[in-house]
Amino acid sequence: MLTNRRKDAWIAAVLVAPFLAIYLLVFVWPTIQMFGISFTDAPLIGTGEWVGTANYERLPSDPRFRTAAWNTAYFVLLTVLPGTIVALLIALGVSRLKGRLQSAILALFFLPYILPVSVVYLLWDWVLNFQFGILMHVFDLLGIERVPITKSRTWFMPAVGIVTIWWTAGFSILLFLAGLRSIPAEIYEAAALDNSSRWTTFRRITWPLLWPVTTLVFTIQLIAQLKIFDQVYLFSVGGRPNDNMVLVYYVFQRAFQQDQGGRAAAVAVTLFVLVVVVSVLQFQLLRLAGGRR
Amino acid sequence: MTGIALERVSKRFGSVDVIKDLSLDIGAGEFVVFLGPSGSGKTTLLRMIAGLETIDSGALTIDGVRSEGLAPGQRNLAMVFQNYALYPHMTVAENMAFGLRNLGLPSNTITSRVAEAARMLEMEKLLARRPAELSGGQRQRVAIGRAIVKEPKAFLFDEPLSNLDAGLRVRTRVELAELHQRLGSTMIYVTHDQTEAMTLADRIVILNNCRIEQVGTPMEVYANPASRFVAGFIGSPAMNFIPVTLTGQGDRAAARLGDGSVVPLPGAPQGEGPWELGIRPEALQVAAEGMTKATATVVERLGDRTLVYARLGDGTQVISQDAGKSQVRAGDGIGLTFDTSALHLFDAAGRAVLL
Repeated sequence: MLTNRRKDAWIAAVLVAPFLAIYLLVFVWPTIQMFGISFTDAPLIGTGEWVGTANYERLPSDPRFRTAAWNTAYFVLLTVLPGTIVALLIALGVSRLKGRLQSAILALFFLPYILPVSVVYLLWDWVLNFQFGILMHVFDLLGIERVPITKSRTWFMPAVGIVTIWWTAGFSILLFLAGLRSIPAEIYEAAALDNSSRWTTFRRITWPLLWPVTTLVFTIQLIAQLKIFDQVYLFSVGGRPNDNMVLVYYVFQRAFQQDQGGRAAAVAVTLFVLVVVVSVLQFQLLRLAGGRR
Repeated sequence: MTGIALERVSKRFGSVDVIKDLSLDIGAGEFVVFLGPSGSGKTTLLRMIAGLETIDSGALTIDGVRSEGLAPGQRNLAMVFQNYALYPHMTVAENMAFGLRNLGLPSNTITSRVAEAARMLEMEKLLARRPAELSGGQRQRVAIGRAIVKEPKAFLFDEPLSNLDAGLRVRTRVELAELHQRLGSTMIYVTHDQTEAMTLADRIVILNNCRIEQVGTPMEVYANPASRFVAGFIGSPAMNFIPVTLTGQGDRAAARLGDGSVVPLPGAPQGEGPWELGIRPEALQVAAEGMTKATATVVERLGDRTLVYARLGDGTQVISQDAGKSQVRAGDGIGLTFDTSALHLFDAAGRAVLL
């Protein structure tokens, strides 16, 4: 078919323009602004004086920032790798089922993912609450002393980690299942004829062929968990928010509770750089590890 | 050397019969081809032998050992899949070594077997490559190599040539025949291509509708098809079928065509009509006079011979043959002569009736 290239380019530009305009307006421009504000002492609304890198220089010695950074790292450690492993195990189990039963079980595992975080919080409050939580009754039955889980420094992060894995695993399971389905059945049949045990088949066939999906799931998890906020915020209500501080919470606190837009922006930029560096680095590392196989 | 015996095996998928009460003996070192249209159960039968499908009832004996309860790996068979089923993340050498490693063979044995297979299939230079870096024909070789290194009791091939282009298919077919001669192993080969079956097989097993229609050497099934189905399925172009009525007794028995012309039969058949006379195109020659008259509709010149598609007086379409330098043109009236030594007669149930 003959086409007029100039006309095509023109139509393409018109079609792309609405997206581009919105993208520039609500993403690129605010991001640039954020970088700018982080070098000022601006409040939440309005402009401030240029203070150079002062907002960044005070971060290392800011105890609350250090708590937030440490808690975020701890949370990532608690959720990313365990979450990936749990999702993989569940996906392997679900993939062995057939037909409607598979769809039904998958739906059950996916259900938590569609819940809003407030509902997740309520559900788990009924489980974990010191006074009326179901888990406390189980503790009573077993003769274990009740633990104020969401009020305890030791148990807060692990508990929120478990809740987060329960909440978000559905999506990872779906990705893993798609990956498992893309491995042709014939390859497993060939392996069966090649005397491959179940464990050998997993280690030498499923695992390497699933590696790209594993890398993807791990990266998505990493980015999502570095940005942890909602669950920590909700579970901290009436508890110890300053001890449970995570980076996004700290940004929120500085900006919206202490009216320090400049300092909040500096933390946000730091987190932004951290997410980019960590995720790009680990994605490349995992890809290379896969390539060597 | 391994014989394989199936005794009254059956297989159902849900409420659908796929294989029904089938028995078959495959001799040691034999090259047997399962031939049939799609849905005839030939691939299922192969997969039942391999252990990839369970056998609902009946017995499978491989090399004297009852095997229907054994896992695929324990049957010591090798299979070449239609899509090759190579492990995409392993090199050619690793693909071939995988099964041997699982058997716990010492690594020098594995290395020498892989090298030997690579030499035999002329793919030494490909050993470090991954399947994605190979052409279709090369992948096919790797799949065969992966089967050879296992030194299996028997080779199973599931339509292995169907993904190759025409030229490569012919070459690989010849190589498979050579491979069988060199190894002397039992081979079972599934195809829907009757040319592959005719050229490769020691014996052809023709499957239709969940059961065996006929078992025989290529020439047996070609020359003496047991049923109308086999007669129509084997041979290209296909056999002509002409509705006839029978007249006369003993030496004077004859078939009367729709237009009234008469073809003498070697003997009087037993059984029930309506009857169909079967004759292959090469036995139905164009002649000036002939036993019956027809009108040529299409003329195909193949060089060494000419195929003349013709309509008989009663409207039946037939394919007849003429010399390479035939003068016949579409629309011409022609005469057709039946080679009475190559006639087949089929009864109402489609069974071949002995003449």
